[in-house]
Amino acid sequence: MSPDAHPALAHHFESLEKQAHAARLGMWLFLATEVLLFTALFAAYAVYRYLFHQTFADASRHIETWIGLVNTIVLVTSSFTVALGVHRATRGDGKGTALFFGLTVLLALVFLGFKAVEYSHHFQEGQLPGRYYTYGEVTGPGASLFFALYFLITGLHGIHVVIGMTVLTVIGIRSALGAFSAEYNVPVELAGLYWHLVDLIWIFVFPLIYLI
Amino acid sequence: MADPHATTPEATSGAHGHSHVGRYAVVWIALLFFTFLTYGLSRLHIPGGWGVAVALGIASAKGALVALFFMHLWDQRGANRLVFVTSLAFVALLVGLVLLDNATRFPLANPPGSEGALPVGGADAPPPPMTAAERK
Amino acid sequence: MSPSPASEALVPQRTYLNAPATGLRSWLLTKDHKRIGVMFLVATTVALFLGGLFALLIRIELLTPGPTIMDAMTYNRMFTLHGVVMIFLFMIPAIPSGFGNFLLPIMLGAKDVAFPRLNLLSFYLYLIGAAIALYGMVHGGADTGWTFYTPYSTTTVTKVTPILLGAFVLGFSSILTGLNFIVTTHTMRAPGITWTRLPLFVWSIYATSVIQILATPVLGMTLMLVAIEHAFGWGIFDPARGGDPVLFQHFFWFYSHPAVYIMVLPAMAVISEVVCASSHKNIFGYKAVAYSSLGIAFVGFFTWGHHLFTSGQSPWDAGIFGVLSMFVGIFTAVKVFNWVATMYKGSISFTTPFAYFVGFLFFLVFGGMTGVALATVSLDIHWQDTYFVVAHFHFIMVGGVMMAFLAALHYWFPKITGRMYPEGWGLVGAVLVVLGFNFTFIPQFLLGNEGMPRRYYSYPERFWPLNVASTAGASVLAAGLVLILVYILISLRWGPVAGQNPWRSRGYEWMSATPPPPENFEETPVFTRGPHEYDDSAEAPPTPTGEPSHVP
Repeated sequence: MSPDAHPALAHHFESLEKQAHAARLGMWLFLATEVLLFTALFAAYAVYRYLFHQTFADASRHIETWIGLVNTIVLVTSSFTVALGVHRATRGDGKGTALFFGLTVLLALVFLGFKAVEYSHHFQEGQLPGRYYTYGEVTGPGASLFFALYFLITGLHGIHVVIGMTVLTVIGIRSALGAFSAEYNVPVELAGLYWHLVDLIWIFVFPLIYLI
Repeated sequence: MADPHATTPEATSGAHGHSHVGRYAVVWIALLFFTFLTYGLSRLHIPGGWGVAVALGIASAKGALVALFFMHLWDQRGANRLVFVTSLAFVALLVGLVLLDNATRFPLANPPGSEGALPVGGADAPPPPMTAAERK
Repeated sequence: MSPSPASEALVPQRTYLNAPATGLRSWLLTKDHKRIGVMFLVATTVALFLGGLFALLIRIELLTPGPTIMDAMTYNRMFTLHGVVMIFLFMIPAIPSGFGNFLLPIMLGAKDVAFPRLNLLSFYLYLIGAAIALYGMVHGGADTGWTFYTPYSTTTVTKVTPILLGAFVLGFSSILTGLNFIVTTHTMRAPGITWTRLPLFVWSIYATSVIQILATPVLGMTLMLVAIEHAFGWGIFDPARGGDPVLFQHFFWFYSHPAVYIMVLPAMAVISEVVCASSHKNIFGYKAVAYSSLGIAFVGFFTWGHHLFTSGQSPWDAGIFGVLSMFVGIFTAVKVFNWVATMYKGSISFTTPFAYFVGFLFFLVFGGMTGVALATVSLDIHWQDTYFVVAHFHFIMVGGVMMAFLAALHYWFPKITGRMYPEGWGLVGAVLVVLGFNFTFIPQFLLGNEGMPRRYYSYPERFWPLNVASTAGASVLAAGLVLILVYILISLRWGPVAGQNPWRSRGYEWMSATPPPPENFEETPVFTRGPHEYDDSAEAPPTPTGEPSHVP
């Protein structure tokens, strides 16, 4: 490591370029594991939807589709603002990044707010998983499975939203404090990638849970 | 994942002109359009399995937009694209072979009351009529 | 582990063992991949002996028909613990996280793995996962077997949840290590190491990492589903609520069958290195050996259904999985033929690592052949859940993985410690282990074929003689392992100094000092030949440019 090397360059890398490439590849591998983490749930959904397709279709009509629609719009928009935030970082504009990331976190809060309204609705109706299922309008085998999968998928997604908000908040504050520059902004980019993945998963959750 | 150029530095994302912002806006509008489209089509209750196919097709299009442009896979190097595509292939593998199992099982092996299981009444109900192939 | 005064002249002054600091703190907070690798080796060896202790207790219980030293419930817990400890705590991490961590960056001419902090986190996740699982074992244990099959695992009264959580955390440790290795292999190769000059060890570890990345998350989610079901009754796998218990088996084996290759591919990695160094000959068919690793990793994902032949899986799926399972045999055979061909006209030194290689070859072929037989649906229905299956997978796992682990331990012992083990005792240990292993598991093949079911603490009297033979064999195996542990521990302090390259190996890792300095190479080496090239009859091992020779 030469004495004039960038302070963010770790001792075992030759150049910032190579380090950024390693970080990016590592992030993509991590995102692949996230996709496969959700896969077990999607596969279970596919199997049970195949086995109980009428019950699943009925159950899907007894949840609030408009909340799903609004939340999709909110998340898609938040992905847009994150992309703009990352773009500001490549221009060396830390304040701009912080602003857009802050906006994203606000949108994420809106998303979670709607989710909370939805969850409380399910609790009142008894639309709950497994042995807690007491909802009267959709009965028969498979009805409680729909809500078990509903809570598992949206719950795991919700956890990812919270983690993503935390990451964006930390990176946003560090951006505002000038931790990144036009040459070195990989953490900003990786935080953005994580948020896009959260959005990507929701894009598939929305039709599966609410529409079909 | 044998990428012979993995060590050579390459142009990375984000270092392009102002066109990126325009591109993001177009993608955002397209995503909103697809969201309303899939919502609208779902109200039509397309019969058979086509409703599912259309909804998942639109979702895949939206997902591709996010992955390619928001996540910059469009202008990224080979390894990163391959990682993501590989993970999707394994999603298909798990979902596909598990579904195939449930779809072609001996009826008693599927959960009671489900598609492909024995009719309601369980194992005591008369068995389904034999097909010509089974009779041989 | 500090060098004794008499030998200081030959041992490099500054090694990763004493620099940048000595003392417990410098080890526990280290980001040096070599120290993390050594810590993994120590931890996994402890797990090996713990799991071995459970195995011995199981064999003692089976010494006589009826209860011998424990009741049925204790026995059920015992074999569950044996499985969990051996698989999650020893076999999955031992070679990749232990030897892989130590060697992979050196073999790539890199200073460290791509993400050193993540590497340390992986070690602590291993410790945390092990602690959670051990807590579950001490407080009640589980009686489900390491496979946690539903609906039994979701209704058992034993403490299955902590063990599930422990395995979940261990999975993250495995994922982080795999992620690190893939990125390191892609981005940190020294000049001159093209993809076709990667050591075969790296190829195999790379293939292992791909499996770890793709399969482990599915297991994590599945274990969480079982834990949720056990605690709250959400009904995902409960037939009373429309759930499908076979779906659990699909999910479980989607990870756990490829996990067999997470265990075996690193073993093959070690063997490929050992056979070249012991035969002093270039590997026969480098590309075939390298790509067959990727082939095994890929095909390994298409075979999980052969665990479900008698579980109610559809005949369609069973047929597909049965045929696809056999493809693994092709890739494995490619490797076996190439290893054997490598020995041909080589100049073989019959050292301890080579002795383990010979044992490995026999066990892998024998275990692999019985595996192909078991993948045949009609035969599997006869052998399902008998000791035949137990003997088969122990041939691959103990016969394959543990032989390779011991080969690696002896082959790289000088690299890691700078000292040699006693060669004579090493061969005695190898003979004890190989013989003891055969006497333990060959009787089990016979027992299984006669119909003795697995997982029972008792058996009819006609199975008695073969069970006594198996227990006797297990005692010899255990004696061999204890002997190895004793002389290894003695050699750490009093073994003769090894010199830079005691095997006259051409592997890249021997080009750095032995033991290596903290940064592996004084300056970034440039490689001008392949990792297994013995052909050009060089007298002294070549040194990378800028690196003074340490050869006496």
